[in-house]
Amino acid sequence: MAEVEMTSFEHMEAIALKIMMVDPGNLSVIGELFELIEKMVANPSVRELNVLWNMGKALGRVLEKIIIGDLADDSVENFELLADCISLMQEIDRLKGVADDKILGKFCDNMTSIGLQMNKNDLTGQDEGRAAGEAAKEVKQPEKPTGQGAEAAIPDFVQDIDLINGFVDEAFEHLEAIEVNVLALEHNPDDPDLINNIFRPFHTIKGVSGFLNLKSINKLAHTTENLLDDVRNGVRKMDSEVIDIVLNGGDFLKSMVENVKDVLNRGPEYYKEFDISEFVAQVQLVQTGGAAPSGPEPIVEPVEQPLSEQEVEPGTAEEAKKPASPAEEEKEAQKATQAKADQAPKGGIARNTGSVASIKVNVDKLDGLVNAVGELVIMQSLISQNPLIKSLNNPKLVRDFGQLSRITSELQKTAMAMRMVPIRQTFQKMIRLVRDLSKKSGKEVDLIMIGEETEIDRNMVESIYDPLVHMIRNSVDHGVQTPKEREKVGKSGKGTVYLRAYQKGGNIVIEIEDDGQGLDSKKIRKKAISRGLIKESDHLSDYELNNLIFTAGFSTADKITEVSGRGVGMDVVKKNVEKLRGKVEIVSQPGKGSLFIIRLPLTLAIIDGIIVRVGKERFIIPTTGIQESIRPEKKNLNTVYGKGETLLIRNKLLPIIKLYEIFSLEPTTTEVSDGIAVVVESEGRERALMVDELLGKQEVVIKSLGGYMANISGVAGGTILGDGRVGLILDLPGLISANDTIAESVKKKSDEVVEK
Amino acid sequence: MSAGDDKRDQKAGVTTSELEGKYLTFALGKEEYGIGILKVREIIGVLEITSVPHTPEYIKGVINLRGRVIPVLELRIKFDMEPQEYTERTCIIVVELVGESGTIQVGMLVDSVSEVLNISAEEIEPPPAFGTSTDLEYILGMGKVKGKVKILLNVDRVIGEGALKQLEKL
Repeated sequence: MAEVEMTSFEHMEAIALKIMMVDPGNLSVIGELFELIEKMVANPSVRELNVLWNMGKALGRVLEKIIIGDLADDSVENFELLADCISLMQEIDRLKGVADDKILGKFCDNMTSIGLQMNKNDLTGQDEGRAAGEAAKEVKQPEKPTGQGAEAAIPDFVQDIDLINGFVDEAFEHLEAIEVNVLALEHNPDDPDLINNIFRPFHTIKGVSGFLNLKSINKLAHTTENLLDDVRNGVRKMDSEVIDIVLNGGDFLKSMVENVKDVLNRGPEYYKEFDISEFVAQVQLVQTGGAAPSGPEPIVEPVEQPLSEQEVEPGTAEEAKKPASPAEEEKEAQKATQAKADQAPKGGIARNTGSVASIKVNVDKLDGLVNAVGELVIMQSLISQNPLIKSLNNPKLVRDFGQLSRITSELQKTAMAMRMVPIRQTFQKMIRLVRDLSKKSGKEVDLIMIGEETEIDRNMVESIYDPLVHMIRNSVDHGVQTPKEREKVGKSGKGTVYLRAYQKGGNIVIEIEDDGQGLDSKKIRKKAISRGLIKESDHLSDYELNNLIFTAGFSTADKITEVSGRGVGMDVVKKNVEKLRGKVEIVSQPGKGSLFIIRLPLTLAIIDGIIVRVGKERFIIPTTGIQESIRPEKKNLNTVYGKGETLLIRNKLLPIIKLYEIFSLEPTTTEVSDGIAVVVESEGRERALMVDELLGKQEVVIKSLGGYMANISGVAGGTILGDGRVGLILDLPGLISANDTIAESVKKKSDEVVEK
Repeated sequence: MSAGDDKRDQKAGVTTSELEGKYLTFALGKEEYGIGILKVREIIGVLEITSVPHTPEYIKGVINLRGRVIPVLELRIKFDMEPQEYTERTCIIVVELVGESGTIQVGMLVDSVSEVLNISAEEIEPPPAFGTSTDLEYILGMGKVKGKVKILLNVDRVIGEGALKQLEKL
């Protein structure tokens, strides 16, 4: 609300500027223009200049028609006329709202030739809304039947491909915004800003989909919008019934938009016609008689009466009387605009607070920048390490190099930061999940999110979603008990799930904590023994036992859900997190709750690695997989016939993987005890990697080897080392599997040789 | 769009006029080869090559081309010739191909780069029939320029997706 009230002059300036940028067919700019006009109309100082206000309204209506596609001909001429109208409005503004006949005449002529019939009286009259509304209706009326008749027509995907693509992207954003706002509304039902924030995206989706001939999407959005309109006007209050419908509508829209995306990607034969009649009927039911208290039980505390009694009562009464004829709808819409105008000053301003200006950038460009900067850093160190330059020993040169390296590392940091996005979006999707889950299971669960502004690599956003869903689901389904059970053990009936994100060291940490029943480590122990994961004689701490639920083979156990109530699919979570080079663990206290901790690297583009040497080649082993490295002693080495060598470390017998063997290299030594054994772990398998030498620890930028060599087992990618050469990054899971199969085949071969 | 995306094209006989154009010629053993200039991105000297395990012998490894990691293959080995020590004339020709996964850059190690030639339709003859040698599918045609024969290579075939598929099978 910090925004300073703009004067009508400033508004007109902004609008005049915007219309210069409008291209016919470019809906987003038209949309922006429309928003500007709405904002201007909502401005109280403009409201005082009656004529200007009327002109603004008329202009808004025309634009709305253009967006919705009612005006088939959004040609260049029309926009020239519009631009002309805007300069006329500026003229009026300069005259401080004095109705100049000539100007108004011109304005009306322009409007009429664009397609909105009007006369001067419309502009000067106080009760303009009705008159202009009638006028608008006249033009609009014949449009209606075609709209319904052509419902089944398949949109022109080929011709509008760019437009539709843009629409799909935007629609997803809008739908996300809708969901977030709807859920926020649940706790804050009488916040007009929130209602507006939900209304607006629906409105935009409706408009653009209409323009693109996506009829069912258009209809659905329109229906939902109508319902919201009632809420906005105070005709109906926002209760959980409406919220459910809006959420369902959002989901419905999402699947339809997804289908559109499918069609774009795979071809028109994938086009699906969605049957929305049921939904529409449901909405209409709610709209007309649904105010009855027979709706589904709200899951939050009974929604507070959003409006005073007097306001609601006539509203509902009117609602019940209202037939759903198009003409009435029109009036309804008219009223909506009116209502919007009344409350918009607040809403319109709220929209602008807190957002930092940003631009959309093609990911390829961004990656290109990051790559180039990475190169710069390497080149800079190459040059400064050059012996010739070092021998110069010039203090100024040294200083300058210092400065240069500061600049380059700053540049690198900024470039990396550009790929980071707040985790907020991913977190917000969880609100919905928790709401649905708790409703389904009859539990009361509060989701408390902390640290939503923590930033993570944008490439990671999608991959983190699945594991998060899994764990949240786990916490709500199995962790938090039902209200009754909770009260029995002396907890409040309402469970709480915390979702936290923060940065710690070089990691992003995400925590999911519930105050539920926790893990029963005794039962896990039993299960693990019966599964053969541990031995009866093994002494494991509770922590170790609890973390067994991440072991593959454990969680697939069918009974565990009933026994301890936890652990379904946790191995999937672990796998996903490990794919991101992260780690996951669980801390649990029986009866008090569980805490899942996911640690992820800050970015996927850079990894921390140990550089090792084998023969002449250097490899990078990701540090996340390394447990320790030692120089093996001879007495700890064993050879198992047909299986290769093993190394005894801390009472564990680890198979040795000889990198030179797998990669067919010339090693410095084939004697294990002369080399270094790096103990690595992946997917629960521990191995000792034999290398010639450890060269050091370094952060490296991961580069793909290209489609050409994407699937080489044991190699995750390449990186450019300090001397400009390429080093290969090891892929531990692949390496271990490859070693296992090679060992198999080697054994077979040797068997064959023996037979011969 | 180069001719010969498909074997039938060659059998049906691609008109030599389609092959007309500028070629970068290079030497490999005793022969001179040519590749369409539009495929060539740049020519660089031999950089240090990092070998990649589990790849065919002719893939020498990967190099750092200004921050991009690209594979390099040795044409001599690919064409079953004797490998040879690199000399100061040994070059890597970086070609750019459009594959299923977008454009890829691949380096080809050749003995030496000769020149860029404009080869007209009259100077091009269809590849000779040596029987059923599989290598033939690498050849677009034979260019006769100033009494010398240049073997015009189908780069997509030599290092394109087909070769990639083979790679994946390994």
